[in-house]
Amino acid sequence: MKILLVEDNERVSQFVIKGLQEAGHTTDHAANGRDGMFLAASEPYDVIVMDRMLPGDIDGLAIIEVLRKAGKRTPILILSALSDVDDRIRGLRSGGDDYLTKPFAFGELLARLDALHRRAQGVNHEIPLTVGNLHMDPMTRKVSRGDRQITLQPREFKLLEYLMRHADQVVTRTMLLENVWDYHFDPQTNVVDVHISKLRQKIDAEFERPLLRTVRNAGYMVTAGE
Amino acid sequence: MTSVVRSSALTLALGYIALGLVALVLFAAPLWYAWQGTIREGRAEILQADAQRLADVYRRDGALALKNFIDARLRMRIAGDRTLLLADAGGHPLAGNLDGWPNVPTVPGDYRVKIDLGSKGMQTVLVHVAALGNYNLLVGRDNRLFAPLEERFWYGLTGAIAVLSIAGLLIGVITRRALMSRVDSIRQTVSAIIHGDLAHRLPTHLSDDELNTLSRTINGMLDQIEQLVRGVRNVSNSIAHDLRTPLAELRSRLEELALIRPPPEQAFSEVDGAVADVDRVIRIFDALLRLAEIDAGLRRSGFVAVDAADLAATAVEFYAPAAELKGIALNFRADGPTTVAGDPVLLAQALSNLIDNALKFTPNDGMIRVAVQSRPGGSVEISVADNGPGIDDAEKAKVVERFYRGDASRGTPGVGLGLSLAQAVAKLHGSALELSDLNPGLSVLLTIPADSAPATPPAADAAASDPARLAGMAATGS
Repeated sequence: MKILLVEDNERVSQFVIKGLQEAGHTTDHAANGRDGMFLAASEPYDVIVMDRMLPGDIDGLAIIEVLRKAGKRTPILILSALSDVDDRIRGLRSGGDDYLTKPFAFGELLARLDALHRRAQGVNHEIPLTVGNLHMDPMTRKVSRGDRQITLQPREFKLLEYLMRHADQVVTRTMLLENVWDYHFDPQTNVVDVHISKLRQKIDAEFERPLLRTVRNAGYMVTAGE
Repeated sequence: MTSVVRSSALTLALGYIALGLVALVLFAAPLWYAWQGTIREGRAEILQADAQRLADVYRRDGALALKNFIDARLRMRIAGDRTLLLADAGGHPLAGNLDGWPNVPTVPGDYRVKIDLGSKGMQTVLVHVAALGNYNLLVGRDNRLFAPLEERFWYGLTGAIAVLSIAGLLIGVITRRALMSRVDSIRQTVSAIIHGDLAHRLPTHLSDDELNTLSRTINGMLDQIEQLVRGVRNVSNSIAHDLRTPLAELRSRLEELALIRPPPEQAFSEVDGAVADVDRVIRIFDALLRLAEIDAGLRRSGFVAVDAADLAATAVEFYAPAAELKGIALNFRADGPTTVAGDPVLLAQALSNLIDNALKFTPNDGMIRVAVQSRPGGSVEISVADNGPGIDDAEKAKVVERFYRGDASRGTPGVGLGLSLAQAVAKLHGSALELSDLNPGLSVLLTIPADSAPATPPAADAAASDPARLAGMAATGS
């Protein structure tokens, strides 16, 4: 992916750029709103990471609004120290696609960028999903692995669907909470892990190769790869 | 101190005095006018009657008889204060107590003139002049006859004005003194409070007067402020404790790492531990920010119609696998229309905290019942009941306090903010958590009143300034 990072804090920038580089992405960096606006408007990026509070007279939300008015549809993740629910809503209303509060775990940022990128490529909700020998048909709501039918509860289905739509990508607990349960808060306990292990029981238990994997310090991934 | 001119009590007193004076004048002026009219008419009548009597003497017995009659009357001093004069056509006095015809026309009628009465000096006299053949008769009466009465009237009026003014001023001054002394006691209390002693209260009496009502209201405000300040103090103490502990662990972990310089594998696992410590701090921080956000009441603007039963069903379903793992039966029941005006995110979080809390304290193979029921009057009741150890009465009030962790919660995960967040959410929705014993177990009840929608919209400036404040707290990362 080609990513633009608009962030004034040097330390955070270095940390993010290095992390993205290691994950195989190229990153352009703008340390103020003016440069950020210029780069975002002139270069084609797959996804933009935008700090909300920037030095100078142009802040992150203003840049997003200008880009959206100019017809740029590049997915934008807002990075902000403002954690209020209302701030989040304001950020998303201005045209941002996702909102991540500082301080953040790099894994969370990476997972969300992947998800944004994939979402921007278009999601067809009718096409059956396949990971290895695991099949899901969103229309008939049938799930099977190999030649065995798997019966899932509605929420388990939603959870697996989200994981499969982001196959080969790390999905964090927060992303699952937000997208599967619509929970925009931290339930403090490891309930998501319990749901995952229950789902794992159903899709992986009697198969040699597990598809639903735990990624340490980050989240989960459904993958048929090694 | 307020200057005399600007004292409201005195201004009021002066106003009342002026009003009293105007009322007195309004009362006295027409009275005086009517009185004067009556006196004048009465005198004229008396004079005419006198003149008539003298004229009768003249007509019956002639001028000489009249002269003698007048002389006799004057001599016998039965004329009183009357002025009598009989003069011929040339104005020469024939009889009477005047030395000559005064400056009065000889045309019959009533006149008011100044006449030299000799011993009494110049006096204003009301006279009646009558023509008797070739003679002119003048009958007069000293105006001073009514003077004492008039004097008394004026004395009375002046006295009334004086009493009114002095009493008014006195009352004004006394009221001002009394008011100032009470205001002063309020001022002293308030300045003590300004200097940080929040325990002071304004003196109040049993009466319902204005200052007392005000004092009581202010005392109520002070109670609330004191409670809030104490809450803030508790929170900062708890923050100090609960943030310091993981920070201290983090610090010693990192310091040890720098000191020992262990092999990479061990170092990395220590770094992972350090990141987990930081995450714990961030969690506490987030929870506190969320609490501050709720307490500020800002989220009331985000109230929408939300089905409490839906939220509860999602929460129950969310926690079902965790309950299953502990062998706990997690039941859910919804009853009647359960749509309320509320904040869906916060209500979901409160519900999640309540169920999470119940899960923590319910023993394996226990039972948790979640119910959402509509109550008469349109309020909706959300209850989470478990059959765990319950909470002592003494502890019930404490568990909703921030960071409070009961003895039973030792060794369980959590930072002690779950119930206080639920309590804050309840408060935002115009309610409070009710904790009751089930013997065994605990029931937590959150009733959302029918009119949970905010009665008054939150102040716009508060909404504008508070996120900035929170941002300032949270901006440490950027």
